[in-house]
Amino acid sequence: MGAVVRLARLQGRRDCGELAAWTVGIAGLGYAAASAVTTEFAADTERAALMGVAAASPAFLFLRGLPDGIGSGAVTFFQGYSFTAVLAGLMSTFLVVRHTRADEDQGRAELVGAAPVNRTASLGATLLLGGGANAVLALVVAAGFTGAGLPVTGSLLAGAAVGAVGLFFTATAALVAQAMPSARSANGAAAALVGAAYLLRGAGDALGTADSPLHVVAAWPSLFSPIGWGQRVRPFTDADPRPLLVLASAALVLATTAVLLRNRRDLGASYIPANESGAARARPGLASFFGLAWRLQRGTVAGWCLTAGVLGVVAGGLGPVVRDALAGNPSVAELIRRVVPGEASMVDLFTTAMLGLAGIMAAAAGIQAVLRLHAEEAEGRAELLLAVPASRVRWLGGSLAIAAISTTAVAAAAGASAGLVLALVQAGGSNPGTVFAGALAHVPAALVFPALTALVFAIRPRWTSAVGWGALAVALVLGQFGELLGLPAWLQDLSPFRHSSAMPVEAFNRDGALMMAAVVLLAAAAAARLVKERDMTV
Amino acid sequence: MHAESSPVIHTRHLVKSFGRTPALTGLDLSVMPGEVHGFLGPNGAGKSTTLRILLGLIKPTSGTARVFGIDPWAEPVRAHRDIAYVPGDVTLWPNLTGGEVVDLLAGLRGGADEGLRRQLIEELDFDPRKKARTYSKGNRQKAALIAAFSRPARLYLLDEPSSGLDPVMDDVFRRHVRRVSADGATVLLSSHILAEVEQLCDRVTIIRSGAAVESGTLADLRHLTRTRFRVIAANPEVVATVQGIHDFRRDGSTMEFDADAADLGTVLQALATAGVTAFTASPPSLEELFMRHYGGQATGYGTGQANRQPDQESPATPATPVTRESQVR
Repeated sequence: MGAVVRLARLQGRRDCGELAAWTVGIAGLGYAAASAVTTEFAADTERAALMGVAAASPAFLFLRGLPDGIGSGAVTFFQGYSFTAVLAGLMSTFLVVRHTRADEDQGRAELVGAAPVNRTASLGATLLLGGGANAVLALVVAAGFTGAGLPVTGSLLAGAAVGAVGLFFTATAALVAQAMPSARSANGAAAALVGAAYLLRGAGDALGTADSPLHVVAAWPSLFSPIGWGQRVRPFTDADPRPLLVLASAALVLATTAVLLRNRRDLGASYIPANESGAARARPGLASFFGLAWRLQRGTVAGWCLTAGVLGVVAGGLGPVVRDALAGNPSVAELIRRVVPGEASMVDLFTTAMLGLAGIMAAAAGIQAVLRLHAEEAEGRAELLLAVPASRVRWLGGSLAIAAISTTAVAAAAGASAGLVLALVQAGGSNPGTVFAGALAHVPAALVFPALTALVFAIRPRWTSAVGWGALAVALVLGQFGELLGLPAWLQDLSPFRHSSAMPVEAFNRDGALMMAAVVLLAAAAAARLVKERDMTV
Repeated sequence: MHAESSPVIHTRHLVKSFGRTPALTGLDLSVMPGEVHGFLGPNGAGKSTTLRILLGLIKPTSGTARVFGIDPWAEPVRAHRDIAYVPGDVTLWPNLTGGEVVDLLAGLRGGADEGLRRQLIEELDFDPRKKARTYSKGNRQKAALIAAFSRPARLYLLDEPSSGLDPVMDDVFRRHVRRVSADGATVLLSSHILAEVEQLCDRVTIIRSGAAVESGTLADLRHLTRTRFRVIAANPEVVATVQGIHDFRRDGSTMEFDADAADLGTVLQALATAGVTAFTASPPSLEELFMRHYGGQATGYGTGQANRQPDQESPATPATPVTRESQVR
């Protein structure tokens, strides 16, 4: 046990900066949501109007969660819980994979394994660290809610609901790390499970039934989502800590299974075996920077496209629910008409919100493609590549081209599947072509992120990952909470997505698209210019 | 394009600092066409930094570096056209097979010579179907060596290339260095393994703390060091006081000492009067030369074997030369 604690402290020391950033970011998001509600929507009537619109709109339910009355705490929980829970899940999965499968990939686990500790000590330490990190996260989130003026008991329970989801995904990722053969695949699979938890909760909430105008009960899909369980705590209304016990028990079962599986396998082995052999010769296309970048990224691109396709199917499949949502509620329909100008149908509003999400996924896929460059450099492979008679600019260009292809493909996959399924279920709304175009309309804004990431890589490679993902997180917060927080327009305008078109509700914004395209080209050109100017880190 | 007499590699007062840490402190290095040049120094002496500057991967803080007369930082693509490089620590793409890695790296340089590729894979006993993630250090090194040697180049930059190879594979490696050298290519071979350098290199530059401390042919360098004598004589005492004698030790009629190359004549004259009955003289090994340049820090380099201990971890030893007869010749 002493060894486990010591190893956990070692792992914690490696992580403390990163975990602090995650914790402050997640709690900051919660604080922002809470203070928006307590300051911008201080009066009961304002919150009632807000929740009236939200409760009647499946798009809101899908994205945010379940309305639970008009109390400040309940409104905050509705607005912010799903996002903070997703972030807690991602923090936990990355933490676990970093110390398990990634350490085995890099050979560090071998050093620890040679010490007089048993086989599962390192995994136990990681689980301990994950538990500790989520306990701290729960307290910091609770402090944020309290600081924004919410009741203490409710804040603590809400924080615990966030931490419990993190704990669940700590154990889930530990299990995934036993199964997957590489850190990259383990991170991908575990993050996909976090995404699935969000989607299942979204579907359950959107399909939920209102038992009173401002209180919605989730449908069955939510039961399969840990985020759905966390939501059932309802910390600021009819508080019920039992769902926390469900999550903790599930985490315990998963973690125990992971430890048992770790004890039964060889160091470096995986339950899903890695492909150990392949072609003796390369295909002709591989021997170029573009060909290599494609080969390295194609699996990831396929994963993103699949996820975006699933999002599209879910969005399209919910069409009839959305169409029928307002049938029995004309007064709320009238309210929504006032909030959302124009003649947009409910189905189009929902589709627009979904395509916005697809735009963010497209940006993330592009960022990931550019981050390959940094991995190549940091792990020493760039040294081999850049000793050949081809310039660094072409090296950068190869990955940027793959990033552009990834971003476009992910947006197209979401748009195509959403348009197709919407047409199949005959929910009304825009035709498939318009929906597809609406997805592609986000591409110029989404491309800003890989281009910015490439620029950072060209100047300060060490910051590539932090700035790339950080920029996307900031854009996400500005987009989802900017209006709610009443942030000044210039600040909200910093998000590239403010300049893309919210089709099909809005018309195509040509100027915005051109402006974003210009930003992308400028950033890419600057990156190409500057990448030649610095030392390679070797 | 260039006259045969102009050096393939030429650096002058090369300085490179990483932040406040100096890596090179004024390195002069000159490698002539067709030479196999040993670049000898302990870990952290600046060997890899030099190679990376020669490749234009990093920019010198001051001083000049020229490869084929080209500034590699300003024109890396032109400089790389005729260079094959094997880094000291080879990392590969875990998802690519060894064969794909070879094709990728050789292909980026214009494509491998199929016959050479097949020959190298066979001789190095390399399995090109395995994914790189399953490779040991030695196998990763082999992949880089096959990629480098399977396409003819005018300059081979090899950074401790055989550190992961077993003796049999090492032999294959040496054969190919001799082959490309016979074809007229220039080779810069960085190493801290003396045996490797002694066997392969025409000329040697010894680098220490970022600067060259010695450069020349092996014969030149030997000339700078001492010959070890072991003599049985009737009157050993007549030798003890001769100029150029060091570490004189006497046990009855047996004496051992080292003699400076410049004073060998005097020493031999003195020996002629000493009544010698038995006599051995061992040529100075490069090891001893190396030891002298690294003073008391470098016991680990004395055996001629790969010794990857960083020198600060080596126990301090007296600066006197080794007293045993050298086995390396």
